[in-house]
Amino acid sequence: MKTIPDKDILLFKSCLVNVEYPGVESSACYIFDKVGVEYYVDKRQSCCTGLGHYYDLFDQLSTTALAARNFHIAAKTNHKNIVTLCATCYAILKKTVKILNYNEDARNKVNTILDESGLPEMEYTQDDMDPSKNIFHIAEILFNKRDEISKYITVDLSEFKIATHHACHYCKVHYNDTIEGVREPNLMDGIVNAMGIDTIGWYDHKRVTCGAGFRQRFTNKEISLAVTSEKLEVLEDKNVEILLHMCPNCQMQFDRYQPYIEKKLGKKFNIFHLNITQYIALAMGADPYSVLGIQTHTVPIEPLLKRLKQKYDLKEDNRLKTLKSV
Amino acid sequence: MSKAQLNKNKSNLKIGVFLCRCGGNISDIIDMEKLRLSVKAEVIEEFENLCSINGRKIIRDNIIKKNLDRVVVAACSPITHEKTFQNYVSPLNPYLLEMANIREQCSWVNPDNITATEKAISIVNAAIEKVKYSQPLVPILRKTPNTAAVIGGGISGISASLSLARQGIETYLIEKEPTIGGSMVKVGKLFSPEKLAEECAMCLLNPLVNEAVQNKNINIITNTTLKSAERRAGNFNLLIENKARKVITDRCISCGNCAEVCPVEVKDSWNEGMTIRKAIYKPFSQAVPDVYTIDPENCKKCGKCQDVCRMDAIDLTMEDEIIPMTVGSVVIATGHKTFDMNKRPEYSYGRHKDILTQMELARVMGVNGPTKGELLKPSDGKVPQRVVMIQCVGSRDEKPGGRKYCSKVCCMVAIKHANVIKQHYPDTDVIIGYTDMRTPGMYEKYFKYAQSNEVRLIRGRPGEIEEKDGIFIVRLEDTLSKEPLEIETDLVVLSTAMEPSEGTVDVSNILDVGLTEELFVKEKHSKIKPVATEVEGIYVCGTAQGPKDITDSIVQANAASAKVSELINGGVELEPFVANIDNSKCNLCKKCIDVCKYKAAFIQDNMLSVDPVACVGCGACLWECENNAIEIIGQTDEQILSMITGMLKDKKPDETRIIAFLDSVGYVSADNIGINKINVPSSIRIIKIPSMNRIMPKHLLHAFNMGADGIIMGEYPYNPMYSKTKEKVNGLKQELIKNNINPDRLAFYKVYIPYFRGLANKFNKFNNQIIELGKIGSKIDS
Repeated sequence: MKTIPDKDILLFKSCLVNVEYPGVESSACYIFDKVGVEYYVDKRQSCCTGLGHYYDLFDQLSTTALAARNFHIAAKTNHKNIVTLCATCYAILKKTVKILNYNEDARNKVNTILDESGLPEMEYTQDDMDPSKNIFHIAEILFNKRDEISKYITVDLSEFKIATHHACHYCKVHYNDTIEGVREPNLMDGIVNAMGIDTIGWYDHKRVTCGAGFRQRFTNKEISLAVTSEKLEVLEDKNVEILLHMCPNCQMQFDRYQPYIEKKLGKKFNIFHLNITQYIALAMGADPYSVLGIQTHTVPIEPLLKRLKQKYDLKEDNRLKTLKSV
Repeated sequence: MSKAQLNKNKSNLKIGVFLCRCGGNISDIIDMEKLRLSVKAEVIEEFENLCSINGRKIIRDNIIKKNLDRVVVAACSPITHEKTFQNYVSPLNPYLLEMANIREQCSWVNPDNITATEKAISIVNAAIEKVKYSQPLVPILRKTPNTAAVIGGGISGISASLSLARQGIETYLIEKEPTIGGSMVKVGKLFSPEKLAEECAMCLLNPLVNEAVQNKNINIITNTTLKSAERRAGNFNLLIENKARKVITDRCISCGNCAEVCPVEVKDSWNEGMTIRKAIYKPFSQAVPDVYTIDPENCKKCGKCQDVCRMDAIDLTMEDEIIPMTVGSVVIATGHKTFDMNKRPEYSYGRHKDILTQMELARVMGVNGPTKGELLKPSDGKVPQRVVMIQCVGSRDEKPGGRKYCSKVCCMVAIKHANVIKQHYPDTDVIIGYTDMRTPGMYEKYFKYAQSNEVRLIRGRPGEIEEKDGIFIVRLEDTLSKEPLEIETDLVVLSTAMEPSEGTVDVSNILDVGLTEELFVKEKHSKIKPVATEVEGIYVCGTAQGPKDITDSIVQANAASAKVSELINGGVELEPFVANIDNSKCNLCKKCIDVCKYKAAFIQDNMLSVDPVACVGCGACLWECENNAIEIIGQTDEQILSMITGMLKDKKPDETRIIAFLDSVGYVSADNIGINKINVPSSIRIIKIPSMNRIMPKHLLHAFNMGADGIIMGEYPYNPMYSKTKEKVNGLKQELIKNNINPDRLAFYKVYIPYFRGLANKFNKFNNQIIELGKIGSKIDS
């Protein structure tokens, strides 16, 4: 079992989180503050390039150079344990550490770029970072702290039928580092179980991709959404009400496109989409708008909140108006 | 220890040095005149071809006429002609000869006359110094007792036992289960390459089992596991634990009345858990020994069985028993287990009754199985309309939890079952989803036969099996047509990987036998020593060594028994270069026993002894011995120190010299450098040492004191003590630091016979590194 840190953490900002579901980051901070995980967010940090990289806009060299810059920030601020909110960041960063450590040519090229840009202090030295010991996904930190988390649960979410969707780029890329199952991913199920709530566990297509496939969503929309709807249909058959996510890209695919798929299939899926951080923060009593950021969701979360004993000041109508104007 | 002390009482020895010109191979490079004048000995002779019969006359005449006590032959590598010259020194004891390798490791690697001659002088000097400390020795002849233990009573263990017993060797066949037979009794039918029909496994096995029962040389001990093992003088002292059967074997007539009244019902592992048995049971009707057994985990001790037993055979108070035994050899035949299907959740095994493993299917189709041989689905008792078999479940899998190797038999097993189904249920569709069909040799015929039986084959490894409305959907990509498929079926059979059994791992650990990365028993050499293990006298056969079929298991079992027989009949003649104990100094602390992976040291009658068959003279025990009670014959401290002295005593102030300690593999590799005429730096001086474990700080410090500028240690990594060596090198470096010597002056390399160019490169690199470091005592060192 690998050692998972709870301090010296650089909480790695994610483009998709910040643009699409900023509540994922604020929920993460909310949980970390509660359970005493020491972390730091640095606004100088740049994008991992993942989205651009998989759209063939960024090559591996620029991706690696940017990573070296981010690793420098992590080291300089004494927060060398990088924790990502997004599975793409996770896999990209692990890969770049491996390249920087094992590919001398690439390392030299990256260091030359940094030198020529007047940033010699950012040069990467072999083994500055360890791909297995310095790069983590937030779900791993939460899993490690699951018993601690369970002590802060104030809102009862046990009435919902829950399934988990584990991100491909966490489970399937660097699978030797994946914890709690590659073939049968149970990382989020483990966290939820520790909170005293059962998930449906295994289901058909549990391991299948969300369908986004980066540019596939746009260039091969039919195939992309066919995968998504197949999974939604299985979940619907199982009467699942909440699907938990650990990657903002998956979350987008399901949350943003669920209404579209419903329209196409002429049926209704009653499935809410929450990130694991949002789900825990909600259970801990966080505010749905200022912390969870549910106003950015396409599938409204308000109907879920209405079913809870806890009373919230819901802004459902405003949110719908905003959406319509868009 | 000073040089003067070292040579005390040794100066009177009459030493003869014989120099070989080797038809110019040596004398064209080395200045023989200078060499002759530079060494001190009673006799110094030079000859064109010392290995010829005339050379023999020169050596022998001198020994007799001049009364020589010791002989040094400076010629080729000892690997080429040591045996020859050992014969030539008769009437001297052959171990009073030392060879100086001035051809492979001098004239052939050092084209410069001056430095080559200097090197030759020091090599000859080292041999002279060493031979002074040589003792007359006799090779060790060992015979092992006429007994063997075979651990594991499957087809491999039974075959090995029969072969041993037929050769008159008393054999203990030890089986963990209540009956012998292993996997073969469960598989029902057998595939064979020659016949296109499937044969009855039980019918082939039964005569062998019966013979084992009747053979007086075989003692079948069931319900028993190995608990501990000790090596003593070529014997193995074993402790075995016999689990109480709670049924008196001699009295039980196997009537079965007891099982009828037993109220406890448990899943029957013989039928892969698909049927129920009682807490008192006999695994199957032909079980050997033919008696009932109580399963202590489930027995409630109600006593009902005792009430109905007319033979008074049941004794619920019977206790487990530890039994000691001494045997000459051990054969490991502990077999395999099959892949844990919990590691493949995507195949839904365990969630649905009609997803079976091949072994479960074998039970279903076995005439003595749960359905009396009918192919009926466990869920509803109906004949399946379609059977989809999935190959490589757990095998050929690089991902976590997978097995990287091919399990070798599963293709034939699937074909066998497919054929059987097709013969009896021609209307049932059989599809095999395969990665590659691997049917080597004659099995290709068997594969064609299956195709002619209309067994369908789809190339692709399924991703998932899901159940929808009572029908299974097998999702796979047909990798030939590149089409994703969803195959509907009502029965799925998984060809699970063969894995090492827990027994294989446990027994190997107890016997100190090495395991492979995959935890199968490691052979001494996978190509040329396929049944020997790293421990002399322990052999392996069957699936304990790796996946294989019944034929291969039997072949290996017979090979293992032949090896046991070799040891017993022929004995072994061994070089006497093993550890020798000074019992007056030994305090019986046992640290040497703990460190020895060869299980060579043991205590008998309060005395520490070393089994010369097992000992390789590596010297690891010397480090552990606080009282210096151990020496290695042929590699005593005096001998090592004097060789170092000889190599360095004439070193000039401006010269660089590097001592290279090489093990036997490294030494051959260094010879290969010479045979291929690759140059090595003139500074290199090679000393052969059985294992780098022998090298202690005092040897290194002596070398540095005598003027060595650097030291190389080279060891072949695939020996059981290698991990120890690596630890030690760090300790040696620390020791150098303590003595103000730069630890970079000591290098440790892995050596391999074929990679002699690599070794030559290392010599060159290290030589340059040492030259850069400068003289010892320069500021880099402190």
